[in-house]
Amino acid sequence: MLRHLARRLGQALLVVAGVVVLTFAVMRLVPGDPAVAFAGPKATPEQLAEARARFGLDDPLPVQLLNYARDLVTGDWGTSLRTRQPVRDDLYLAFPASLELVGAALLIAIAAGVPLGVLAARHKTRLPDLGVRLGSMLAVSVPVFWLALALQTVFAGGLGWFPIAGEYDSSLDTTSPLTLWTNITVVDALITGNWPIFTSALWHLVLPALVVAAYPAGVIAQMTRAALIEEAGQDHARLERALGFGETSILTRFALRPALNPVLSLIALVFAYAIVNGFLVEAVFNWPGLGRYAAESIRSLDTPAIAGVTLLVALVYVLANLVVDLLQGFVDPRTRSR
Amino acid sequence: MRWHKRLLVAGVAGVLVLTATACAGGQVRGAGGTPQPETSGGSPAGQPGGQANDNTFVYAPNSDVVTDWDPATSYSNEIVALSNIYEGLTRYDSLTKKATPRLATEWTSSADGKEWTFTLRQGVKFHTGDPMDAEAAKKAIERTIEKKGGAAYIWDPVDEIEAVDASTLKFTLKYAAPLDLVTSSGYAAWIYDVDAVDADGKTTAGTGPYTIDSWRKGEETELTLKAYEDYWGGWKPEQYKKVAFRVTPEITTAWQLLQSGEVNFVRRLNPQLFAQAGTTRGVQGSQAQSFQNLLVLFNTADGPAKDIKVRQALQAAIDYDGLAAALEGSGVKASGLVPQGLLGHVEGMEPKQDLDRARQLLAAAGYGPDLKELELDLTYAVGDDDQKLLVTLLSSTLKQLNVTLLAKPMNWGAQWDLGKKQGQDIFVMYWYPDYPDAYSWFLNVFKSADKPQFNLSYLKNTGIDAAIDKLPELTATDRTAAEQEYRKLQEKIIQEEAAVAVPYVQRYQRALSVDVQGYQDNPAYPSVVFFYDLTRAS
Repeated sequence: MLRHLARRLGQALLVVAGVVVLTFAVMRLVPGDPAVAFAGPKATPEQLAEARARFGLDDPLPVQLLNYARDLVTGDWGTSLRTRQPVRDDLYLAFPASLELVGAALLIAIAAGVPLGVLAARHKTRLPDLGVRLGSMLAVSVPVFWLALALQTVFAGGLGWFPIAGEYDSSLDTTSPLTLWTNITVVDALITGNWPIFTSALWHLVLPALVVAAYPAGVIAQMTRAALIEEAGQDHARLERALGFGETSILTRFALRPALNPVLSLIALVFAYAIVNGFLVEAVFNWPGLGRYAAESIRSLDTPAIAGVTLLVALVYVLANLVVDLLQGFVDPRTRSR
Repeated sequence: MRWHKRLLVAGVAGVLVLTATACAGGQVRGAGGTPQPETSGGSPAGQPGGQANDNTFVYAPNSDVVTDWDPATSYSNEIVALSNIYEGLTRYDSLTKKATPRLATEWTSSADGKEWTFTLRQGVKFHTGDPMDAEAAKKAIERTIEKKGGAAYIWDPVDEIEAVDASTLKFTLKYAAPLDLVTSSGYAAWIYDVDAVDADGKTTAGTGPYTIDSWRKGEETELTLKAYEDYWGGWKPEQYKKVAFRVTPEITTAWQLLQSGEVNFVRRLNPQLFAQAGTTRGVQGSQAQSFQNLLVLFNTADGPAKDIKVRQALQAAIDYDGLAAALEGSGVKASGLVPQGLLGHVEGMEPKQDLDRARQLLAAAGYGPDLKELELDLTYAVGDDDQKLLVTLLSSTLKQLNVTLLAKPMNWGAQWDLGKKQGQDIFVMYWYPDYPDAYSWFLNVFKSADKPQFNLSYLKNTGIDAAIDKLPELTATDRTAAEQEYRKLQEKIIQEEAAVAVPYVQRYQRALSVDVQGYQDNPAYPSVVFFYDLTRAS
């Protein structure tokens, strides 16, 4: 298990190093002077020169790359040209909100996707299967931005069942201030027993989480169905049938465990995907997460911030894959030798 | 252990690890670097901070509100908040085109426009409780000048500041300038307590009607302001005592929040939504011309546009009326270089499309349908739909004249870099003044420069330069003569030199909840709502 862990960690580090180099290259290949983003659109030549000197933009590119890598390792992710704050601090404020949204969405996606996949596999080629396949295809193919606007217009703006936007009712900050532990509002409210903010945050989470959940739920349902159908054709399933187990029992008691292996890999992939996919949803629902930060950074050509977001997303992707690799090894020891 | 139990254990462990790594350690939201939310005192329990109500005005900006809390160097979006926290000596009135009293009640200038004396308002206190007097005002302006950040250059004419007595502030200038317009600037002209400036935004050092209540960077309700009870203007019950800034990037979301009564003000709508504002219950629309116009600058120094006939043909080819119609009210046809509301604006200089003239001029320059094809490089701002519209219309018109427009959308940094190297034939950009004075266009965009910064038509004309140099003194001493000089200059630059075409001036299309009274757009302070001037209809 340790060797398995070390090998996976080594691979992950290589990927991260590659991302750092690529991120730096993209930062420097983008046309335009990053100093303008810091000094303003009407900056004087002196103000521009000062900004260039401050951010080391006059150094040769290899020196800049080395400095960038060294700073990253020491925890300095640079200073945002737009907010003028350390990028790491900005990300620390924005990332937990995205994590909250995507976490909730993935819970919904797994809770809906796996049972729907089982249902479709159990009733293969019949009406429930057709319904699940059609539904998941729709969930996967509907543009997330459109879905967000549609749900917001109908269920928030029109029917008034849910809040239009925001993470929670900010007026509660006055009446019941939230003590932060993880910066994830729902978790902090739960930990500290702040029920007004907890219920408000959950209420605000429903629509955006449903939108972000649509794509993962669709692919998880389809993958679960396919994996279960494959498992149901294996020798062990024939034996179980011979022993008198019913189809539902075979699927849920014997086939589901091995079938979940590819689903776990898929979850890691869709997790990172959902973080980026959620950017548009965050914009529609005023969600104070990475999406808003990334959008404003891109608009103002804030290269350190864009690089920070890119690196963070890459780290999440690598970390999610690593965790799933380890989980797979844990759940199914056969995979450790692969 | 059974597999699903293992999975459960692993999941729980993962959550614990995640929680531990993200752990910030028991900080109250808003505290630490930002003001701590009050549970008593300034914000009475039950008065929401981020929701519109009798007492709270909610402004929906489309991006982060504050990036710089220092009133000396601030030069960005925070103008919408700081203009309510800080005050200058004067404030510009775009209807009368004059500065009006604020911290200064009156002012005089010498006949040569080089000495200005301001009488300060009595009994004004900073938010710190210290009195605002001439010495404090002098220190604030001197600190802003020394910092050299943001728009500090507006004080360039100032040679010396003297606090004659507690209520008299005297400026001696290096050259004549309209200092009452400089002191009306939206940036770098604020008077503040220099000993109380807090770059972290925990406290404020101004004299304005509002002080900071909470600042939660990165949150949806990023900033709340509360009434400064000792404000020199006093308070009436119907005024808004609290203000919240609720960051809403999406226009459609802002529109829904406005309709539901959760916000009071949306800073800019698109024309389609603005059209709905007039007929939507609970919502009122407001539109006003800005001081920001679009400049189409032709390369007078190099390439085919060096030929004045080509430049004049391009001016004549733009479909000004069609563009204004397509903008659906978000832009209005310009008359001259100086927008309405500023000294120097001239009526009767509205341009018109004249394709026959364009064809003749091009033919005289050797181009046209039966002649040589002309290719022109144009750069404009990426993501700006209005500029894109102009480029699309112009491109299709020019095609008929055998002119191919090679249009490149670029971010400002890249476009500006290329422009400084004379890398295009046509440069499209917006211009706006930092203080309400038309001089900004002429000094920055049309005065000769060996290394062009914003003179991206690369115009070099000593006669025009000399006329530009006279403008500050004329504005300071003889505004009627200044008006005439501005007119002549615009005729020279637009008609004689054909260095620029000005297709439109941007118009703000905003929406407010119908219960807000007293709102008036002031283009000298873009997107600023002076909350103190508003009342809520009962």
